[in-house]
Amino acid sequence: MANFSGRRVFVVEDETLVLFNLEDILADLGCEVVGQAMRLDQAITLAKSVGDVDVAILDVNIGGATVFAAAEILAEKGVPLLFATGYGRDGLPPEWQDRAVIVKPYSPQDVERALAPLLGVATGT
Amino acid sequence: MGEVDYARTFDVLPSPFMIVDTDLCYVAANRAYLETVDRTLPELLGKSLFELFPNSGESGQRLRASFDSVMATGVSDTLAYLPYPLQRADGGFDQRYWTAVHVPLLDDEGRVAYVMQNTVDVSEFARLRAAATVPFTSLSAETRLIERTREAEASSADFRRLFQQAPGFFAILSGPRHVFTFASDSYLRLVGDRPLMGLPVETALPEVVGQGFIALLDRVFVEGYVHQAESARIMLLRQAGREPEETYLDFSYHPIRDPDGSITGVFVQGTDRTEAVRAAHLQRLLIDELNHRVNNTLATVQSIASQTLRASTDPALARQAFQARILALSKAHNMLSDRRWHDTDIGRLVRQELDAFDSSQVRYSGPALMVNSKATIALAMLLHELASNAVRHGALSLPQGRLDVAWHEDETDSLVLEWKEQGVPHVAAPDKRGFGSRLLDTVVVGELGGQLDLRYEPGGLVARLSIPPVGYIAQELSFG
Repeated sequence: MANFSGRRVFVVEDETLVLFNLEDILADLGCEVVGQAMRLDQAITLAKSVGDVDVAILDVNIGGATVFAAAEILAEKGVPLLFATGYGRDGLPPEWQDRAVIVKPYSPQDVERALAPLLGVATGT
Repeated sequence: MGEVDYARTFDVLPSPFMIVDTDLCYVAANRAYLETVDRTLPELLGKSLFELFPNSGESGQRLRASFDSVMATGVSDTLAYLPYPLQRADGGFDQRYWTAVHVPLLDDEGRVAYVMQNTVDVSEFARLRAAATVPFTSLSAETRLIERTREAEASSADFRRLFQQAPGFFAILSGPRHVFTFASDSYLRLVGDRPLMGLPVETALPEVVGQGFIALLDRVFVEGYVHQAESARIMLLRQAGREPEETYLDFSYHPIRDPDGSITGVFVQGTDRTEAVRAAHLQRLLIDELNHRVNNTLATVQSIASQTLRASTDPALARQAFQARILALSKAHNMLSDRRWHDTDIGRLVRQELDAFDSSQVRYSGPALMVNSKATIALAMLLHELASNAVRHGALSLPQGRLDVAWHEDETDSLVLEWKEQGVPHVAAPDKRGFGSRLLDTVVVGELGGQLDLRYEPGGLVARLSIPPVGYIAQELSFG
């Protein structure tokens, strides 16, 4: 497994159990979670206030709303985005289609492979 | 030019005419009539019509009634179709069919003095109907012409009726401005029963202007090609006084040409596909939503497996814990499924988790309070972790232990749930990083935006959680 040691990750995921899994995967990769939100209002506030972030992993559907309002704030800051969704790429509106996506359920390897190019790390896989 | 000789004119009229007096005795008959009845004029004059051609049947009565009516009222009468056998001079009978018109001839005082009868022998028509196989060549030219016209009119009316009532819609647009000259019932229904006849499309259906259809009609009219479209989207005013509605049509435009080949109009035909398109769209949405839910549930199960295995070194215990957690998740899904994935009564969630325990040990109470689907899953997992903790380390691990669960809605509409364990002599605060306490904290504070107060009092664990309305009432389209 690649070492993303010290990389700062911003996470939005509205389901406790799915979040646990992602937190564990990120911890195993050596990442540091610098911002974490489970609701849209919280995600927007945190996206505005958060300091340096290397990458953001965003669950698309949060509590029936979409995460894009928070995604825009992060994208403006130049934060690379990785969307996580149960719908697949087709679930993304056209303006976000070119962004990286992982489809739920995802494995630690899926997360690693998706993060590597966003963090500029070669994984060798 | 000399004076017209009316007697001679009467005599040479090609159609049979005769005149009777008020006693129904012949006073005149022209040549055509004499030929038809196969008699000479002297054989008829002064004789009674009904003595010469007796008929006591229905036809005779109708004929007599018609004469009586004309004489009584002075108004003409027509018998459209009258079967009337005719006795030939040789004594035999011919079955004949007639159309008869009776016209009154008035005297100077305005009283009916005579009645003139004009008859047309329609026996050939009758025979034709009786035996449809009779070849046309056996009929007179006139009869053929009349019969063909009649058939053409009938079939044109039949066609019109067919088109009028066809399930697909039809319309005929004439000229370069596409003026409606025909629209079927279904076409009229499609456009909200608006007046169309004699109006150009742009006037009759103003909302379609700017949607590209008039330009298409122009092209079909000018270039003469056939335009076909499948499930074409059109905003159409379907009901008077309403906004135009999204409508999907399969349709085609065909040029109508006159015998010279010039285009005179456009024939429009099609089917309303709106319901089918909507149904397909809904089905697509449902499949997407199903995929989404299945994927989210799999992600949850994956996480439960991962968390359970990480937390335990004993495979037998891990397997037991995993199965119990999956069962708790599954029961929550079933409860939501019963309510069409809408919401669940908090009481059912609590009962589901605590029903197996003796009522002397476990009490729970609270009003009916509905929680949304997201909170249902989250609270089901939370209650399961609290209960399994109580079984392993708390009030439900000892016979003298007691658990009280109560819930209510507070003055801010928050859902407040209190979990109180008693009778546990040695209360140890659990590992802060344990799955149970991590789950409690993340569900209540993170996922549902509430507050959690967890205390380890002498006698047992006391948990108080408060969830704001936005965390459990707000409805969502889906979870996850």
